[in-house]
Amino acid sequence: MAGPELLLDSSIRLWVVLPIVFITFFVGILRHYVTQLIHNDKKVDLQQVSDSQVLLRSRILRENGKYLPKQSFAMRKHYFNNPDTGFFKKVKRKVIPKNPMTDPSTLTDMMKGNLTNVLPMILIGGWINWAFSGFVTTKVPFPLTLRFKPMLQRGIELISLDASWVSSASWYFLNVFGLRSMYTLILGQDNAADQSRIMQDQMTGAAMAMPPDPNKAFKSEWEALEIVEHKWALENVEEELMCQDLNFRGLFI
Amino acid sequence: MSSISELYDVSWEEMRDKLRKWREENYRNSEQIVDVGEELINEHASKLGDDIWIIYEQVMIAALDCSRDDLAWSCLQELKRQFPDSHRVKRLAGMRLEALERYEDANKLYDSILQDDPTNTAARKRKISILRAQGKSSEAIRELNEYLEQFVGDQEAWHELSELYINEHDYAKAAFCLEELMMTNPHNHLYCEQYAEVKYTQGGLENLELARKYFAQALKLNNRNMRALFGLYMSASHIAASPKVSAKVKKDNVKYAAWATSQISRAYQMAGRGKKENKCSVKAVEEMLESMQITMS
Repeated sequence: MAGPELLLDSSIRLWVVLPIVFITFFVGILRHYVTQLIHNDKKVDLQQVSDSQVLLRSRILRENGKYLPKQSFAMRKHYFNNPDTGFFKKVKRKVIPKNPMTDPSTLTDMMKGNLTNVLPMILIGGWINWAFSGFVTTKVPFPLTLRFKPMLQRGIELISLDASWVSSASWYFLNVFGLRSMYTLILGQDNAADQSRIMQDQMTGAAMAMPPDPNKAFKSEWEALEIVEHKWALENVEEELMCQDLNFRGLFI
Repeated sequence: MSSISELYDVSWEEMRDKLRKWREENYRNSEQIVDVGEELINEHASKLGDDIWIIYEQVMIAALDCSRDDLAWSCLQELKRQFPDSHRVKRLAGMRLEALERYEDANKLYDSILQDDPTNTAARKRKISILRAQGKSSEAIRELNEYLEQFVGDQEAWHELSELYINEHDYAKAAFCLEELMMTNPHNHLYCEQYAEVKYTQGGLENLELARKYFAQALKLNNRNMRALFGLYMSASHIAASPKVSAKVKKDNVKYAAWATSQISRAYQMAGRGKKENKCSVKAVEEMLESMQITMS
C-alpha cells in the first residue's frame, strides 16, 4: 500500500543529507592518500619478469612470424614447442600457493588493508548512527518489503512506516558505494578509496599478488603456437615494389 | 662568450622544451645538450621546478660524453643530495667512474646495486658495456647472451649483440639477433636493411636471394632508402651472374637489376636538378653501374 507522503523538514536536507555526502567523500580521499603512504612496493621476482617476457616473445612470434624467413620461424617454433626439449614443454615452474596465514608479508598487507578500510567505516558508521539517529533522512525511490525495515530504519521505532524511508546510517552506506565512480573520476583508476573492490578481493580469498599460474600460461601459449603456420609476407615483395616508381619526395632538400 | 639564449634568441621555456624533445627522441648531440643544459641549470634553476632533476641526469650523461668532468660531478652531487638511496643515481655514479676508466670501482658499484635488486637491468647493461669498453668482446658476448636469456624482450640488448657478432664476423648469429628485432618491429625499414646486408655478406645463393627480398622489403617500407636500393641492385646482379641459376631466375634478376638501375639514375637526376655538377655525378653513377653490370651470355 502506498503510504502517505511524508513531508520532511528541509533542514534535514541541509544538515544531514549533504554533510553525510561530504564526510563520506573526504574520508574516502583521505583513505586513498593514507594507503599510498603506508603502502610498500611489491618486490618483483626475477623469474616472473623473465617468464612474462618469454610469453610476450612467443606471442610476437605468432603475430609477426610471417616477416621472418621460413627457416628462422621454424627454428623458433621448434625452440618453444619441441616435444622433448621445447621451452614450454620442459620448463615447469614450482608454484607455491601462498598461505595467507603463515606468510608474513601478506599478513601485514591484510592488516594494513583492514586498518585503512574497515576501521574508518566502522567508526564513522557508528558515529553517524549515534549523531544522526532518531529521524527519517530520506526515501529510496523504489518500494521495499518489510524485511528491510530493521536494517534500514535503525533508531526509528515506527511499525507502520514504509520501508522505503531510511535512516541516516543507511544513507551513509549508500554513499560509500555510490561515490565509487566519483573517486574514479577524481583519483583515476585503481585508487585505494574503492572499498567495494577490496571487499571483493577479500571474499575471493586468494592471494592478491599472485600472477596467473605460469604453467597454465605456458600450456595455453604452447597450444596457440602449435596451430600457427608460416605464411611468408615477402613472397611477392619485388613484384609489389616494382609495379610503380619509387617516391623520392623529401629525400632531397 | 654570449649565452645560448642571446645567441639564438630563445627563452628558457623553449630551451627546456628542446631538452625534453632531445630526451624523448634519444638524441646524442652531447655538446648542444651541455651548452643548453648548463645555462638552464645555472641561470634558471628555480623556475624549472621538479623538471630540474631529469635535466640534471640528461646533462650529466652529456657532460661525460664531452669530458666535462666538473659539470658531471656537480650534477651528480645535486642528484645525490636529493635522492640519497636511489639506484638510478648510483648507476650515474657508476657511469662517471667508467668515464674516468676506474672500471673496478664501477663494477663494485654495479654489483652492489644488483645485490639489492636482482631485476635491475640498467646495472647489468652497464657491466656489459664496461667489458666492451675494455675490449673483451668475447666475454661481453657471453654476458650479453646470459642477460638476454633472462630478459628476452630487451631490444636495445639484441641490437648491441648483433653489433658485437658483426665485429666478430659471426654473421649467422648476428642474423639471428636482427631477426628478433625484425619480429618485434616489423615496420622498421632499418632493421630489414641491416638484416639484408648481413645476409649478403654471408654469401651463397640462398642468402643472396633472402638479401634481395629483404632489401626490397626495406624499400617498400621506405621508398627513400638509397642503401637498400643499391643493395637490391647488387644482390640481383650477383644472382644473375651466378652460373648455377636457372634461366628463369636469371631473367627475373636481370629485370630487378635493371629496374633498380633506372630508379638510381632517376634519384641522381632529381638530386642534381639545377646544379651544374649534376651532369658529372649522373654520368659517374651510370659508369659505375655499367662497370658492375654483368654481361649476359
